[in-house]
Amino acid sequence: MLSLTINEQSYEVDAAPDTPLLWVIRDFVKLTGTKFGCGKGLCGACTVHLDGIAIRSCITPVSAAVGRPITTIEGLGNEQQPHPLQSAWLEHNVPQCGYCQPGQLMQASSLLASNASPTEDEIKSAMSGNLCRCGTYPRILKAIQQVAASNTTAMFYDATAPQDVKA
Amino acid sequence: MTTTISRRQFIRVSATAAGGLLIAAQLPACGGSKNLQADSGDFSPNAFLTFSEQGEITFTLPRAEMGQGTYTGLTTIIAEELEVDPQAIAILFAPADKAYNNPDYYNQMTGGSNSIKVHFSPLSQLGADTRQLFINAAAERLQVSPGECEASNALVTHTPSGRQLPYRDLLTLAATLDGVESTPLKKPAQYKYIGKQRQRLDAAAKTFGQAEFAIDVAIDNMLVAAIARPPVFGGKLIRFDASSAETMPGVHHVLAVDAGVAVVADNYWQAQQALQAVIIEWDHGKLAGLSSDSLFQHYRDAADADTGDKVRRDGNASKALAFASKVIEAEYTVPFLAHATMEPQNCVAHVQADRCDIWVPTQGPDLATVIASNITGLSHDQIHIHSSFLGGGFGRRILHDYLAEAVSISSAIGQPVKVIWSREDDIAHDSFRPATYNRLKAGLNEEGELLAWQHQIVGPSIMRQFIPNMLGAHVPEAMPDALVRFLGKTAGKAMGTVIADGSCTEGADDLPYSIPNLDVRYVHVDAGVPLLYWRSVGHSQNAFMVESFLDEAAHAAGSDPYQFRVGLLKEDPRRRAVLDKAAELGNWGNPAAGNRFQGIAVHKSFGSYVAQVAEIEIINEQIQVKHISCVVDCGLVVNPDIVRMQMESGVIFGLTAALYGEITHRDGRVEQSNFHDYPLLRMNETPTISVHIMESDEAPSGVGEPGVPPVLPAVANAVFAATGQRLRKAPLRLGQAQG
Repeated sequence: MLSLTINEQSYEVDAAPDTPLLWVIRDFVKLTGTKFGCGKGLCGACTVHLDGIAIRSCITPVSAAVGRPITTIEGLGNEQQPHPLQSAWLEHNVPQCGYCQPGQLMQASSLLASNASPTEDEIKSAMSGNLCRCGTYPRILKAIQQVAASNTTAMFYDATAPQDVKA
Repeated sequence: MTTTISRRQFIRVSATAAGGLLIAAQLPACGGSKNLQADSGDFSPNAFLTFSEQGEITFTLPRAEMGQGTYTGLTTIIAEELEVDPQAIAILFAPADKAYNNPDYYNQMTGGSNSIKVHFSPLSQLGADTRQLFINAAAERLQVSPGECEASNALVTHTPSGRQLPYRDLLTLAATLDGVESTPLKKPAQYKYIGKQRQRLDAAAKTFGQAEFAIDVAIDNMLVAAIARPPVFGGKLIRFDASSAETMPGVHHVLAVDAGVAVVADNYWQAQQALQAVIIEWDHGKLAGLSSDSLFQHYRDAADADTGDKVRRDGNASKALAFASKVIEAEYTVPFLAHATMEPQNCVAHVQADRCDIWVPTQGPDLATVIASNITGLSHDQIHIHSSFLGGGFGRRILHDYLAEAVSISSAIGQPVKVIWSREDDIAHDSFRPATYNRLKAGLNEEGELLAWQHQIVGPSIMRQFIPNMLGAHVPEAMPDALVRFLGKTAGKAMGTVIADGSCTEGADDLPYSIPNLDVRYVHVDAGVPLLYWRSVGHSQNAFMVESFLDEAAHAAGSDPYQFRVGLLKEDPRRRAVLDKAAELGNWGNPAAGNRFQGIAVHKSFGSYVAQVAEIEIINEQIQVKHISCVVDCGLVVNPDIVRMQMESGVIFGLTAALYGEITHRDGRVEQSNFHDYPLLRMNETPTISVHIMESDEAPSGVGEPGVPPVLPAVANAVFAATGQRLRKAPLRLGQAQG
């Protein structure tokens, strides 16, 4: 049995130690927000945080994650307490099919945690490991720049506020 | 604005719950009749809307949501006339049922960028009639005239007295009233939701990781299968040795299936690991010798042997060419392309004696039903397709090969099975956007006017391969399988010979340019590579030939490419208008810097007109696309921001194809396997994109695909401006052999 801490909750999973963390998260812990896209660390859909830093869970064996805090998209934020990036994502109407978006958000949040004011080149460099087939990159870039510029910490999403999208 | 129900309740959109709820709300009767269910109190005035006494309003979405925005757009349309905030509506994905047919297709396919177009009037009318039904019910309850009542936010108000009745209090009464038809619709000036910028209704679910895709579905007692498929398409299994695989952790079965060899295990990782340990011998079959080089040679030979079937003939192009003072000619080729949806193919199937439940990403639940019925022998009514958000479609989810696999395996082992394709499976075993070979010739007179245009298109027909898959959804269920298959084969043979498959020539046969002598011909050649519809279909190929060769003609005439087009577009005001606007938006003639070069292209597809100006730099022999200016005329706009994002989407999708996309074959095998050798455009390669939407009162036309076709020629034309190299092959590579 392996002991994992995911989104501040403890789990005991009976998985082989070389099982990729991605499949443990999805199939054993049943958190399906983290996605399978390529299995080779080439697309970023599987991105989660390990010790607060973005990693590709499809090529990380679960044994490497034992005893270290793991954060998935489910732990990044929710409607009542969204991560600032998630609020910006909604303002900019970012998602299309939505499949790559959890990985994009996990990667972006990791970037901002280590570099609160990245340049455009730094953002692109950090984000270019995350593929999007639908072409949401321009809006992702704007959303990240907006959060970086605003310098806010926790922000609450006001469900009663008008839903108009920024022009 | 008040919302009667917490959005949080609908954030988690679950395919399993959706299927269950829908079966309860959906009685077998079809679209027209009203149903009030005594036990639940839910009221369904038609197949699309259900109202509960608690104030929940549910809309059954008739089309798939694959990122293109139907979830938001269609809901907005019905909400407008229904007088309910779109954000107050819970949305369910439609089951397989003729009530949800795409009116353009007589089946349930989502595609052709036509969802808004085909549903705008019918859903508007349904919304208006339902609103009127509630007004009538309120008027009856209050004993007043309906004419003194109006509706807003799911509430009917008797204007003179101010008395109000919410829809949810009127259900029982509404169910007893006569049906309403032909309620006058709103004028655009009255729209509260249509045309205003609104957030996507699925944005929150997708941002908080709560949106469920079929690949996320898990049901009790489910096993997971990984499949080894023949490395060469059309190959067959000879034998396999599972002795090692069978001993591996979690493995329950290793079996031969139609698709190849399947390992069924407790979870995907175990199934994949064990699959690697199965030793398999294949008979590679007829395509074992196929290579991309041999394929294109085959196309060239076919072009030499046969001038082709007439697609369009105006005037006499051969004669005009003989008298032209200048003739240019060129060969253009485009490769096979994979869909590469971010969500790989997958399906959960639970086959039982008297029913079959399937959770699957699909662009056609009825087509899916037919496949499942054929495999299981169950009737259509016994098959339940549970749809979900699609992690990308692009045409891939019309072919249900992955569903057939899951259904067969579940049938064989008597347990629910989930099939997941690896990315390697997804790339190699895709059915591709066709490769084509094209010969073009143009003739100009001394004044530089374009007098003749000849285009010979050589390539395969998608429809010919696909029609057997589609036919089952159009014929009576009782028709014997064998007959359906026979009809499918016959119809397939007719395609490309007696009946032209429009997708081969679209974009090349409807040239809007005032060229007096036009000759477009098609030669059908099929090398056996599996084919499928791919975002913008024939336009994804033919816009390249047309807009790039036209550019060649412009340069041959010594004309500016934009002005040359303007001179030829006297008969097409909408196309001319987007072209002019793109030239303005893109600062045609004034690139942003001295080392930047521009290319222009305009193309109409799926009813919409799109013009783009590409601005590029050449850095270290690499094409870097810096900016795309994009103008679209798609008629009436339901959600401007979704139109904008679909243009951004089409541009980026098109740029991947323009700069990288290529599926090649060697020894019959697809050479590409994952994103290292089938690369997609990344953020650091993405240009800035500006979009302008033309104001229009025309009927809505599509936006899902039309952004794709102009990109490749716009960039190729810019490359010519930058380097003098005319690239006539996609993907565009500097220094490639010409033609």
